[in-house]
Amino acid sequence: MTPTLVLLGVNHNTAPIEIRERLAIPASRLADATRSLASSPGIREGLILSTCNRVELLTVQDADAVTPDLLRFFHEYFAVPAATIRPHVYEFREREAVRHLFRVASSLDSMVVGEPQILGQVKESYTVAREVGAVNSSDAGGGHLDRLLQFAFTVAKKIRTETQIGASSVSIASVAVDLARTIFGSLAGKHVLLVGAGKMSELAVRQLIQQGATSILICNRTEDRAHKIAAQFQGQGISTEVIPYGSLYTEAHRADIVITSTGAPQHLFDASHGQQFIQRRRGRPMFFIDIAVPRDVDPRMNKVEGCFVYDIDDLQQVAAANLSDRTREAQAAEQIITAEVSRYQQRLLTLDAVPAIKALQQQAEETRQAELARSAKLLATLTPEQAAAVEALTRNLTNKLLHPQLLALRKPHD
Amino acid sequence: MSLLWLRVAVLLYAVAALAVLPAALYDRPSWRLIAIPATITGLLFHFVSLAEMLITAHHSLPVESHETQSFLAILLALAFVLVYARYKTLALGIFLLPLAVLLGLLPAFRPGLGTTTLPGPHTGWLFLHIALLLAAYAALFVSLVASVLYLVQEARLKSKSVQPVSIKLPPLETLDLIALKALLFGLPCMTAGLLIGSLLAQITYGATYFRDPKILLAFAMWLAYIGMIFIRRHSGLRGRRSVYLSSFVFLVILAVWASNQFSAVHRFTTP
Repeated sequence: MTPTLVLLGVNHNTAPIEIRERLAIPASRLADATRSLASSPGIREGLILSTCNRVELLTVQDADAVTPDLLRFFHEYFAVPAATIRPHVYEFREREAVRHLFRVASSLDSMVVGEPQILGQVKESYTVAREVGAVNSSDAGGGHLDRLLQFAFTVAKKIRTETQIGASSVSIASVAVDLARTIFGSLAGKHVLLVGAGKMSELAVRQLIQQGATSILICNRTEDRAHKIAAQFQGQGISTEVIPYGSLYTEAHRADIVITSTGAPQHLFDASHGQQFIQRRRGRPMFFIDIAVPRDVDPRMNKVEGCFVYDIDDLQQVAAANLSDRTREAQAAEQIITAEVSRYQQRLLTLDAVPAIKALQQQAEETRQAELARSAKLLATLTPEQAAAVEALTRNLTNKLLHPQLLALRKPHD
Repeated sequence: MSLLWLRVAVLLYAVAALAVLPAALYDRPSWRLIAIPATITGLLFHFVSLAEMLITAHHSLPVESHETQSFLAILLALAFVLVYARYKTLALGIFLLPLAVLLGLLPAFRPGLGTTTLPGPHTGWLFLHIALLLAAYAALFVSLVASVLYLVQEARLKSKSVQPVSIKLPPLETLDLIALKALLFGLPCMTAGLLIGSLLAQITYGATYFRDPKILLAFAMWLAYIGMIFIRRHSGLRGRRSVYLSSFVFLVILAVWASNQFSAVHRFTTP
């Protein structure tokens, strides 16, 4: 009997964080959990995908065995009552399970569509499952999950290549970094001035550091707070310098990127400041990221040549537009998924038919050989050329007679 | 035979010019796989064609207008390849490659019929004079294109438009760097080219040569070029004003180029 592919899980759409966190498996326990799943009765192969947004069990089950209770596995392994989990669980079988896996690996089922981490997480789960023997190699026969996962990785890569699903940033901090790169190119060696403090501004600074910014200037009305912020960025090969609040306007021109998030009721920087800074910088551009509400930078500064000012609304608009681009690209990706699911199913059917095709060919060959043997006496008088012609004739005839049946075996069944 | 190679080269430039459009305008980077090889192959054919053309004409320097146009086309295509190799941007090809095609078209399909008289034994120096000046022209055009693209990129950033971006441009600072480096490359070329030309003229024609308005205009062009670099470097001129300045100098260069056709003394071809 053909084994059955079953996928059961919860994700950010079906289960609240309270449920997901009870089912989440830390990386250190993933191997043990996978081994445990694969050794459950009726399970041939198994894989567990556990991320902050989903926990999924992908299994190949014996079709002739009693259907294994995956919900029970959840219940027993995580000590969470089945009744608590049941309302949040989804289950997909065969073709729909394949489709779901392709969508997950391609980041179409992610909270932020197009995010790149999920493919790495699926690959990690696959590696763990291979290591503990829960997924068999497809080279050694069997290996349904191996074949499926390899195909899923190819589909995910194809979608990344053929669509723009992951091309644009969708978070405020990453949009700010993208804009900085559009202005400066490489951020290596760029100076960043952080005025005020706030989680989002600090996150933006971290992202800029990741992209190569090496010098952080910090200015805060409270100097102690500025030193505390500076301490957070030290020790990463980054030079930090606290600028006294009174020196802000004489020092700000040193920064290529200024991130402001103070609670000041009025603008800290106006257009004339921008002109002064650009003059001191001999025309080199400056990028102001204004995360404060009310705004710290007068929007008219954006009209000063060389000054680029983006406030929180501007950044959000870019992020939203990028997200909408991703949604549009996701539609193209869904079409690819549909085609690839069919292609995968077709390949499976071909693989399923291989033993039958081989048996049919062997039987035909045996019959041919037997008939030739029966006529051996009559054929003994033939010259070598005539014998070769008879050999070729019988082989061609057999192949032609087999052809429609082989074709039928390779075709998908409805 | 040289004409055939030139036609092949022009055709390849045209293919590259078309392939650059989807690569740069619609962010389809795989088209670079056509644009770059087509330009490089075009350059090879073009070099062969020019060499054959000059050998057939029994001289070793491009002096006829068709030959100089053809040589300038080579320099522009070469500039596109060099900028791509250094900055990985195809955007400049939107302007450089079509111009290379246009400059190559006339010599390829309406070759000049004039015979050439050369001004004496200084052929090598004369070649250097022409090559250096043409390199300076090409450098200025590259700088102008980079400055225009800077303006487009700046306007896009200032507008904060959330419309899908079509044209894929390099970062602002990269464009500024390309514009400035092209100028800095062009200045020594132009200076050396004019100096060599002046010395050759002094030896061949004497001081009267320098009364030709075209020659005076050439020196004005050199001064404008120096002035532009000085202003850019010392005031940090970028964006709109930089484009105006580059355009002005470019117009002066066009005037010098055009006047070459009417100058009584500064031409070596006899119709």
